[in-house]
Amino acid sequence: METMNKLGRILLVEDDPKDVELTLTALEEYNLANEVIVARDGEEALEYLYSRGKFKTRSSDNPAVVLLDLKLPKVDGLEVLKQIKSEEKLRMMPVVVLTSSKEEKDMVASYKLGVSAYVVKPVDFHEFVNAIKELGIFWAVINEPPPGSVRK
Amino acid sequence: MSLGDVYLAPINGAKCRSEGAMARPKLQLRIAQSLVLRYGLALLSVSVALGGALLIQRFQLRNITLFLFAIAVAAWYGGTGAAVLALLLSFISFAHFFVEPSQSIPYFILFALFAWLVSWFSSVRRRVEAELEIEVSERSSLLNLTHDTIFVRDMSDSIRYWNRGAEELYGWTPEQAIGKSSHELLRTVFSSPLDDVQAEFLRTGRWEGELKHTKADGTQVIVASRWSLRRDEREQPIAVLETNNDITVRKRREQEIQTLNQELAKRSTELEAINKELEAFAYSVSHDLRAPLRHMAGYTELLQKKASSTLDEKCSHYILMTLDSAKRMGNLIDDLLAFSRIGRAETQKTLCSMTQLVREALTEVRDDTEGRNIAWKIGALPDFYGDRSMLRLVLVNLMSNAIKFTRTRPQAEIEVGCADGNSNDLVVFVRDNGVGFDMKYVNKLFGVFQRLHDSDAFEGTGIGLATAQRIIHRHGGKVWAEGVIDGGATFYFSVPKP
Repeated sequence: METMNKLGRILLVEDDPKDVELTLTALEEYNLANEVIVARDGEEALEYLYSRGKFKTRSSDNPAVVLLDLKLPKVDGLEVLKQIKSEEKLRMMPVVVLTSSKEEKDMVASYKLGVSAYVVKPVDFHEFVNAIKELGIFWAVINEPPPGSVRK
Repeated sequence: MSLGDVYLAPINGAKCRSEGAMARPKLQLRIAQSLVLRYGLALLSVSVALGGALLIQRFQLRNITLFLFAIAVAAWYGGTGAAVLALLLSFISFAHFFVEPSQSIPYFILFALFAWLVSWFSSVRRRVEAELEIEVSERSSLLNLTHDTIFVRDMSDSIRYWNRGAEELYGWTPEQAIGKSSHELLRTVFSSPLDDVQAEFLRTGRWEGELKHTKADGTQVIVASRWSLRRDEREQPIAVLETNNDITVRKRREQEIQTLNQELAKRSTELEAINKELEAFAYSVSHDLRAPLRHMAGYTELLQKKASSTLDEKCSHYILMTLDSAKRMGNLIDDLLAFSRIGRAETQKTLCSMTQLVREALTEVRDDTEGRNIAWKIGALPDFYGDRSMLRLVLVNLMSNAIKFTRTRPQAEIEVGCADGNSNDLVVFVRDNGVGFDMKYVNKLFGVFQRLHDSDAFEGTGIGLATAQRIIHRHGGKVWAEGVIDGGATFYFSVPKP
């Protein structure tokens, strides 16, 4: 596929293994799953972004997009978002909140912190697959990420 | 110290010198009361004078002073009648025993003049005393007129005056109370140490506070007590005027109000906690309940996709039903969340045009009316005060209900209009000629997820009317409905007039 040439890396921050599996399945359908890094909690996500701990040796480029769940163990999604947006090196990186929460206060808090998009995970699997596909295609393929992002 | 001294002082404020005004008139009155006593006094005093004079005469002395004294005593204490009797008796005795009848005229004149002089003095004194007595009794009765409990006690706490208010409140008569120690009689309970109270009182001359007293019948009263200190001319404290008001009932009510307030504060804290819990609950439902549901739907769909070629019709049907239920539960959760959000959202009230809102609602339900034959009748509608988007939701819910339940009618008729309310409320109704409902179940209509029709015939979760009711309640209004099975339904809601 032509798009493969310039597929961006996706950081998926999601604690639920089933959600991870379904998301990866959805991305696979459109050949978007190859460059997905999964962080299982907020702390791991930050370790990746700051190249700390087990991600010490990773390449210094930022992902093309972060798909961020809000309800996470240890460090929650909003806190991760806050840290990303307050760090000079990371703040330009697109972050998409991908959550079950339709709560207005979560939306407002996310947008206030400068999130690029807010997506509520649809219950219907078709819709879910579509949403993931569109997110993947838009952010990892169509969108031109800020300088310093990973592009294959 | 006399009684009048004390209780006059607080009234005119100045130092009123009327010492003895009460004690002596009493003695005098008692003597003057009886005619026998008065004339007897005259007789006795002259007899004593005669006896004395006769005794002195033995020593060749002639003394009229004793007779003058007898006349003076009779005139002073016995009044005019006694004075005249004493004068006559003295003159007769004197003329008989001590002088020649021819020489007696000057003595008579002397006695008469003296009797007149003493009587005059006596009458003047009596008038003054009577006036004083009137004044005193007037003031005393004034003190008895007041509802306040007033008593006077001296510095050794002995009660010296006790007004009618005190008698009425505590149940002891002045005779029972006067002379007793007030704190012992009333079993005074101070809210602060007595020494502190006394120190402040002696320093400032005034004290105010709440006391507990025990009445004659043994019941306890709470009084608002005010003390004033009276000092003599040498600035020595001599008496205390104590004015008390029974505040038992007021205190009890205050106590009740305080208890109620505490209760209320507790309840509102509880309610706040419950609200927070509900919010957390809704949040949890939003997050945690949807995730497994999504997984169920997701994996089932993946199964359906992978195994569709190997599954028989029955198995495919089962998978379809599983997916259908998952979707339905997703809708229920969404509805429940929307419903809970309405309870928590703040209402932003403005003046809205109902006509405009109905128009907007019609646009919103247009999708449901496609391919339908509906005769709309929109009456004149008033303006009202409320949250625009919430009230539009009410109209949308009622109108889409009307559309839904007239589906079986070849010609549906839906009317939106304004009904007669009372003077405070505006009443709007949505009427249809649809399948209606049994009035027996009218109370169930507005419950969350309550449905009166099976979901095969009419889809929906049963949240629409509950949401409408919640919104109208938040506006201070009411919702109600009328219906006949197969004869249409009318839904009313009221909102307070702007």
